Amino acid sequence: MNDHHQTGGSSPSPAEPPRTLLEVDEVVKRFGGIRAVDGATMKVREGTITALIGPNGAGKTTLFNVVTGFYRGDRGSVTFDGRQVFGEAPYEIARKGMVRTFQITKALAAMPVIDNMMLAAPDQPGERFRNLILRPDAVRRREKEVRADAMELLEIFNLAELADDYAGTLSGGQRKLLELARALMARPKLLLLDEPMAGINPVLGKRLLDHMQQLRQERGVTFLFIEHDMEVVMNHSDRVVVMAEGRVIADGEPQEVRADKSVIDAYLGGVAADTVAGEKPYR
Amino acid sequence: MSLDPGTIVPLAVTFESFTDVDFWISVGIIAGTYTIVALGLQLNTGFTGIVNFGQAAFMAIGAYTMAILVLKAGFSFWLSLPIAVLAAMLFGVIVGLPSLRLRADYFAIATIAMAEVVRLFAQNARGLTGGNQGLFCDTEGDTSVCYTNDWRDLSDSINENIVSNFWSNPDTLFPLFLVVWLTVGIAVVALSYFQGTPWGRVLRAIREDEDAARALGKNTLLYKLQSLAISACLGAIAGFFLALNLATLHPIDFEPLVTFFAFSVLILGGMANYKGVALGAVLFWVVLEATRFIELPDPPFTETRLASLRLAITGLLLIGLMAFRPQGIFGKREEMVIGE
Amino acid sequence: MTRPAPAAIGERLMERLRRQPWIGAVGVILVIFLALVAGEGLHAVAQTGLNGLSLGAIYALGAVGLTLVYGILKLVNFAHGDFLTFGAYMAYLVNVTWGAPLIVAVFWAMVATALLGLLFERLLWGPMRAKHAGFLQLILMSIGLAFVIRAVVQWFWGTEIRTLDVNTTDTVDFLGLRIGQTELVVLVVGVAVLVGVGFMLRVTLLGKRMRALSDDLDLAETAGIDTRRVILYTWVFAGALAGLAGVLAGAITSLRPELGFELLLPIFAAVILGGIGDAFGALVAGLVLGVMTEWSTLLIDARWKVAVGFLVLLIVLVIRPQGIFGRAKAI
Repeated sequence: MNDHHQTGGSSPSPAEPPRTLLEVDEVVKRFGGIRAVDGATMKVREGTITALIGPNGAGKTTLFNVVTGFYRGDRGSVTFDGRQVFGEAPYEIARKGMVRTFQITKALAAMPVIDNMMLAAPDQPGERFRNLILRPDAVRRREKEVRADAMELLEIFNLAELADDYAGTLSGGQRKLLELARALMARPKLLLLDEPMAGINPVLGKRLLDHMQQLRQERGVTFLFIEHDMEVVMNHSDRVVVMAEGRVIADGEPQEVRADKSVIDAYLGGVAADTVAGEKPYR
Repeated sequence: MSLDPGTIVPLAVTFESFTDVDFWISVGIIAGTYTIVALGLQLNTGFTGIVNFGQAAFMAIGAYTMAILVLKAGFSFWLSLPIAVLAAMLFGVIVGLPSLRLRADYFAIATIAMAEVVRLFAQNARGLTGGNQGLFCDTEGDTSVCYTNDWRDLSDSINENIVSNFWSNPDTLFPLFLVVWLTVGIAVVALSYFQGTPWGRVLRAIREDEDAARALGKNTLLYKLQSLAISACLGAIAGFFLALNLATLHPIDFEPLVTFFAFSVLILGGMANYKGVALGAVLFWVVLEATRFIELPDPPFTETRLASLRLAITGLLLIGLMAFRPQGIFGKREEMVIGE
Repeated sequence: MTRPAPAAIGERLMERLRRQPWIGAVGVILVIFLALVAGEGLHAVAQTGLNGLSLGAIYALGAVGLTLVYGILKLVNFAHGDFLTFGAYMAYLVNVTWGAPLIVAVFWAMVATALLGLLFERLLWGPMRAKHAGFLQLILMSIGLAFVIRAVVQWFWGTEIRTLDVNTTDTVDFLGLRIGQTELVVLVVGVAVLVGVGFMLRVTLLGKRMRALSDDLDLAETAGIDTRRVILYTWVFAGALAGLAGVLAGAITSLRPELGFELLLPIFAAVILGGIGDAFGALVAGLVLGVMTEWSTLLIDARWKVAVGFLVLLIVLVIRPQGIFGRAKAI
């Protein structure tokens, strides 16, 4: 059963360092005169949980958007699993195994929970119109499999009883879990979570983090998540990448980064700016 | 103004027409035609989230291509039908490729502009389309060739051989009525089936949040194109029925009003529900056609005024539904993503 | 100092064009102008250009109101065309049926249409906003409204073509160009009002507030602007201009119930070309569109000229949906 659910990644053997799954090199993204991302460079290694932090307006979500194809970057390169994906369409990148969630949950409220889940499964012949006519049996068979997989994942996240309810009737926390579960249905190698802890209570947050650890262990999923809660970052991530003013200013283990002077400066500067205007001013 | 018995009771109306079979068949044909148009809109707006205001253009392309092939190029009527459907679908894809990337309201405006370009072409390319005079029979060569010929033959033969067993003097339009509603039935079954498939699931996801669908690996542009193409196919078929019913084609038959009538039908029946469309169409057209068949006294109800009345009813219906019951009769409130 | 490489110059030019796209637009118009003059002669181009300005003034008057309503209320007002129709028929009522001079009719048309706009804001748009109605609900409602207005007009005035009591025969010659007397009046009035509108938007407090709301409603609210008031004034403004546009259109063509709707799509084209919510953009785009439409008659048969508006609309939507002056956020 475990093999059936194995995702693309595999747990790294202790002897060799894990390979680089995602490599971001000098990415630039401008909006009019503003450089939201100003030459960001970072690496994410397979099988790790990496946190992306930084003051408000540092360009974290923008970088996410460029990496996953939702924004067209102006310059730079993004290599995923050995292949260049810079400038590709978001759906192509998602199919290659890089799946992202959004800051404001996009649980599809007008669809039942189970539909949300089944939507995400890869390799569905039934999604191609011609197969509905030419290969109805293959369509039916895969639907059954997908439904079973979906229910299994929902069980793990304790959402199984809600399977037939419209996702819009779920609570905020449940929707976050649904979005995570749904993202997993897509068999991702790398999961990018945009502020997964935002707006949910600490108990649920802890559950989410436990799930992440479990998923990393059992299914070899690599995580990159944007987060503001320092406690979460320090205690639950293997590596921390710090962004400020559109650039990566630190990339290392939590303890190293915490002590890094430039990080402290960025945050102090960032905190001061935040309290005044809410947006970090750009050059 | 002399006191004439007609003015004493100005609102005396006769309801004789409601028992007239011809009335019901006539309403039935137009309601069925609009059901097919609105089924396409349901797929587009109710299930894919794209606001297609250009449906009349697909109807026009279907109808005119068929008529032109028969009248100007000597094609057989039956052969011209699939070609005309393909022409409409191709047009849908060509228009959709650049415009489906746009935000929903921009797309709506683009489709209306596209539809007006088509109508402008029909009005002005007189050599091909007959301009405002319209198309019905071959005006240059053999004037007995009308695009309705083959259909009339089939229709009469259906009446003679099949219907006359049940109904001694069947209405000449009855076979058209049957074919239209048979088509409606097939379309509803097919569309409902497709909706429940994984393909339909992707459409519903796009309806609500295209970015979420793309983040899960779905090529949303492709699905939207398919949705538009299927709607174009349905529009073309409805165009055929319109052409056969009216027996002549004029550009005015494909003005934006037609698309908006279809939207009224769609909203009335309810969004995100294929079966409701038929009921919406019947209700809508019974009311509208009733103004034609109820014998309302001529002053003040002239023909033009009856037309304004129909416009006003449609307008008030749209306003009322949008204000008080946007999900229509059978729509599901939970699935109303466009409204909220 | 080394000369910059050609590639870098090209890149800088593209950057300049991206930041100030109207430069590109002016360039395109200039090229078209020169090509037409070379092909058809300056006189023809100037003559059609003059006609185009009258048409463009009508487009611009309609577009300014529509774009502000679109920008501030996020309402794609399909009934706007029928506001033009309403204005035209109100003028007919006063000018032809009651025999008053045209100037009175124009004022009455503007007042009546402004009141109409206020009426619907009170009855429909305000309550719908309170209900957080989605954009499809609003669009369909505006379409329903368009039908109702047209139905009323058609009920009282029928479908036959009517004309205002204007001089349709006399012409005026100047600079070697000929223009109908009425056309000239329309042109002068239209341009004068547009200049006034431009001034009002730029200089007066109300104008600035309308533009601020159109740009960013929430920001304007937090800045303390009484948005409700500005919204009401916007409807008055949009209604009055639409009514005027309708009268002018009726004066140089004729009155029929479809008058407004036929103008609606070119007006939409001007709105989008100028950038949604940008009143100046709509103003300029309307004039440009009118001129382009008339210039096209030099090359193609006049009955196709309305296609120009549609084609411009489609091209802009495909290439640069935020319009010449708009910013990327429109997508």
